[in-house]
Amino acid sequence: MRQPPQSAITLSPEERPLEEYPYDSEVDVAVIGAGPNGLIAALYLASAGLQVALVEKRYEIGGGLATEEVLFPGYYANTHATYHYMIDYMPVLEDFDLSRHGLRFFKPSLQTVSYIGNDEVHLYRTLEDTRDFLARTSLSLADSFARTSMSYRRMVDEIVGPATYLPPMPPLDMIDRMGTTPTGNELLAVSEASPHEVLDGANLGDPLTATLLYMACQWGISPRETGMGFMVPLLVDRGMQKAICYGGSHRMASALSREFLRNGGIILDNAEVDSIEIGDNGASGISMVDGRNIRARRAVVSSLDPVTTMLHLLPDGSVPDEMVSALGEWKWDKWSLLTVFFALKAGEGKDTSYGNDEPFATILGFDSSDDVIDVLESLEGGEIAKIAGHLSMESELDPCLKPRNGERVGFFQMPAPYGYPWEERSSSILQQVLNLLEVRIPGIHEDLLAVKMETPVDVERRLASMVRGSIKHGDYNPLQMGYLRPHIDCSNTRTPIEGLYLCGASVYPGGMIIGGPGYLCARAVINDLGMEFPFPVTRKMEAYANTYLDGDIQW
Amino acid sequence: MQATTVSTNNAEELAKRGNYDFVVLGAGPNGLGIAAYLSKWGFSVCVLEARPEIGGGAENAEPMPGFSIDPHATYLYGAAAPAFEQLELGKYGFRMAYTKNLAGAISPDGGVFAAGFYNPESLEPSSLSSLMGTSMAEIYVEIQKGMRAHARDLLRAVYYTPPYDEKWGVPGDDLPAVKVLQQTSPVFDPALTRDSSVLDITEAIGLPDPLKAITLFGSWYNGPHPFWKGMSIPGMACNLLYTYSSGSPVGGMHTLAHSLARCAVANGAKIFVNSPVTEIIVQDGRAVGVRVDDTSVLEEKTVKANLAVISALHVRQTFLDLVGAGHLAPDFLERIKALNLRGGSLFVLHIITTELPRYKGAEDAFAGDKYPSCTVINASTDILMEEMRDVYSFKTHPTDPDHFIVPICTHDTYDSTRSPSGYYVLSPIYVQCPVPEEHRDGPDAVNDAKEEITETILRLLEQYAPNMTRDKIVATYVNTPRDSEFRNMAFVGGNWYGLRESQDEWWSKRPLPELARYRTPIEGLYLCNHTSHPGGLCLIAVPYNLMHILIEDLEPVAATTPGWWYPSPWHITDAEEGTR
Repeated sequence: MRQPPQSAITLSPEERPLEEYPYDSEVDVAVIGAGPNGLIAALYLASAGLQVALVEKRYEIGGGLATEEVLFPGYYANTHATYHYMIDYMPVLEDFDLSRHGLRFFKPSLQTVSYIGNDEVHLYRTLEDTRDFLARTSLSLADSFARTSMSYRRMVDEIVGPATYLPPMPPLDMIDRMGTTPTGNELLAVSEASPHEVLDGANLGDPLTATLLYMACQWGISPRETGMGFMVPLLVDRGMQKAICYGGSHRMASALSREFLRNGGIILDNAEVDSIEIGDNGASGISMVDGRNIRARRAVVSSLDPVTTMLHLLPDGSVPDEMVSALGEWKWDKWSLLTVFFALKAGEGKDTSYGNDEPFATILGFDSSDDVIDVLESLEGGEIAKIAGHLSMESELDPCLKPRNGERVGFFQMPAPYGYPWEERSSSILQQVLNLLEVRIPGIHEDLLAVKMETPVDVERRLASMVRGSIKHGDYNPLQMGYLRPHIDCSNTRTPIEGLYLCGASVYPGGMIIGGPGYLCARAVINDLGMEFPFPVTRKMEAYANTYLDGDIQW
Repeated sequence: MQATTVSTNNAEELAKRGNYDFVVLGAGPNGLGIAAYLSKWGFSVCVLEARPEIGGGAENAEPMPGFSIDPHATYLYGAAAPAFEQLELGKYGFRMAYTKNLAGAISPDGGVFAAGFYNPESLEPSSLSSLMGTSMAEIYVEIQKGMRAHARDLLRAVYYTPPYDEKWGVPGDDLPAVKVLQQTSPVFDPALTRDSSVLDITEAIGLPDPLKAITLFGSWYNGPHPFWKGMSIPGMACNLLYTYSSGSPVGGMHTLAHSLARCAVANGAKIFVNSPVTEIIVQDGRAVGVRVDDTSVLEEKTVKANLAVISALHVRQTFLDLVGAGHLAPDFLERIKALNLRGGSLFVLHIITTELPRYKGAEDAFAGDKYPSCTVINASTDILMEEMRDVYSFKTHPTDPDHFIVPICTHDTYDSTRSPSGYYVLSPIYVQCPVPEEHRDGPDAVNDAKEEITETILRLLEQYAPNMTRDKIVATYVNTPRDSEFRNMAFVGGNWYGLRESQDEWWSKRPLPELARYRTPIEGLYLCNHTSHPGGLCLIAVPYNLMHILIEDLEPVAATTPGWWYPSPWHITDAEEGTR
């Protein structure tokens, strides 16, 4: 913990020229961390009638929902979540009318353009458009794609999508239940394989296989890790349903926070938690670094990474030894991200009045699916085999991010290792990135108004729960997924400490702004308090529960 | 106002159709402030902001992850604002970080000064006697004590009272600030004080440099020119604003914007960013709503205001760009065009370092917890004069180190949230520039000299603090006046208090005599911006003052004011004036 700075003074209430948030306060629930999950949990709890205080260490709420002036002065960019792929399933978007706070999503028609060696692949929002594109070269390829993508769509729509917002199931129960339906069996068939095996078996031709493999693995899944195949349908199907949050991803945090405020919530930013207090009946409140104490009558909810919450914020001896040692072995993400943000001089204006052919993402730098595997595996060894990743001209898709004078803002992003001699090699990497971009953005060197590279170290510095740049608060591998995430005794958001709940990306079902942990945590808290959850499940969740859970959801 | 208020029952429904009681343009501290007041009072309010983020001048940015810089306002100046109590901003998360030692100054000849409102030592005459001799030190301390004891009353009289209508002809001795001074200052003749300049005051007390230089500087950088007669009260009051608050909201000024916005939202206001207003719609001489740009997230690009449109934009934009000539008298338009933008165009530098500067000759004065949050180097009255000459002759950039004084601010000495351990943020470092539009070498001259100016400041810093070698500097960021205007359109000319603060642009005459009470020639259109009295500085003063006027005009729509509201004790209503 940082020592209070030497010139800081604490004034007595009589000395203070103005009133502040009190040093001692009491609420029903204290929620730590105002990222997507913290916000969602806090919003549901407040809407159920609980008095909730949400505390955030940063100066802005949102966590990964960040749109910031990273190209200072004047240019805004999404610094973490650049798109949203679960908006069709998130209960929070159905349960609350966030459009009244200005929240709008938009799915670009051309989702991804991928250059693999000399080949070019286009992926559209509608499977039919993609199929038509592929049919130009090969009808059988188009058919394979149609078969595969429709199968993925079924798995996501019937199972993976709705299950994201229902409590985790023990693996054996899962296999048992999945075996009862054709779609479940399809999912079981891919589950035990590695992402590469899953895609390799789909007969999609190498350029398309390489593209989908990158989409399935880019956020930190080993392409050849067995037991991770179940992520492929989700990441591929949803990867073709990327939605942009109009005005930047931060707008989603902003809309959630406004709805939370209207439900009586309290938000404290620049408020770092020093410890979680334990009383006779379990978690009883939080102490802040600045000396403020917030007592929590009903529950304390943490959206921070599990190591910080369970090993650093709690008093010694309060967490069972087995969990302490298990979390001591917690694996952070295999790799993180390197992002180069840039602003360019005004270019020739595109006519976007009848649709926009700007792809959301342009994948660059890979030669083949073997190359994708080699590049990703090099990261696990702390190396960068080559510069390859995806480019997005954000301001061409979101006019809100477009500067008034027609300038353009975009970013290039690639998977990158945390442990890497960044200080030494940053400028060389930046040059290599710009050289790669020159091919797609001719004249980028001359047109550059501002450029800014962020390394995995920066990721960690901005968002402290992304330890070692872990955008998901911890690796996706079979031992840290599902029922085991982050530990078998707290994957349903409850912890061994009464009244203490987890809801971050490290908890089932994981990160990437899916909002599952926040929703499930709110369900658990409200359930445990014997209160009525103010909203029904979504139709898709209900259908899933009827088919696979006999209609019986154990929150 | 004849229109009826939107009842809260169907406010949500009406809002969907773009229908509100009040539409507020701009989500800086003034726009958010009035939105918070009106929504807390029970009206439906919509705030429209052009930028992707609320806050206006109350903003923080993180160009490097983990490092928060202050591109604009940096200290809380508004601790005397009734808003903290009336809006209960503490409930919405407002927290302060206070510093023991606020200000330090070093003159080129090695004179050192350090002081803090909450550092009693710095008000011991003995600690000042080496600088100015014992008897002068005693007088100075006496004045300081008097001002501090009555700081809130004095500041509320100067800033938190709607200006009187010039036509009323209220005598100078009856102005609120003069009356408070009469009660509080044992030393000065208030009438003399009223008509003098800040320079006159510093000379009358016999202040030596660097104290004299920073007193003059504290006035100039915050608005009132220190050499202009009749501006001593606002000029000295600026210095008092700064010391009275003695710190910054935890995490920076954006925290203030957050608490105002959260108060407004919790009370039902809608705030839409990325929604630039393109027109204030005037029908039959009355403002009835606004049109927003096509890129806005709003479904209805026309937003209707049943009671009033409140513009928290620059007065020039309000009338010249948004109302338009079709609804305004030609002489009025010409006078708006002629408003003086000079003064307050700032070059702002931000430095990330691995050490705090250790100033030569100030080792003892700045030791331990006496290290000041803001250290002014080159603090000499002669240098300040050179700087003013340069700025007002529109010719040079601040590249001659003997021609400008430099405040170097850091909040790391008292607020742990601004930077990661082991690093420091020196932000902001302000230098005055000629207003870009009038710069002799063209409007981009200062932008083109960005690196040269940065280099000069870094050299000067190293000269005063020899440990600040280049290997200690991790990164630098700059916003020039043009950049500030690009980022934030209401900073016309990069000017951070909107218009010059001279006798002709202050109190009953700001920005024009007929606009001084926030009303405009367009019925239902009000001003709530730093171009109105009392200027910028994120004081939440304009919204408070405007509330007095709205309360008068809202009769009979709002029959009673809410229980938490109290007006300025100095306020005179138009009705009262009529019966006098």
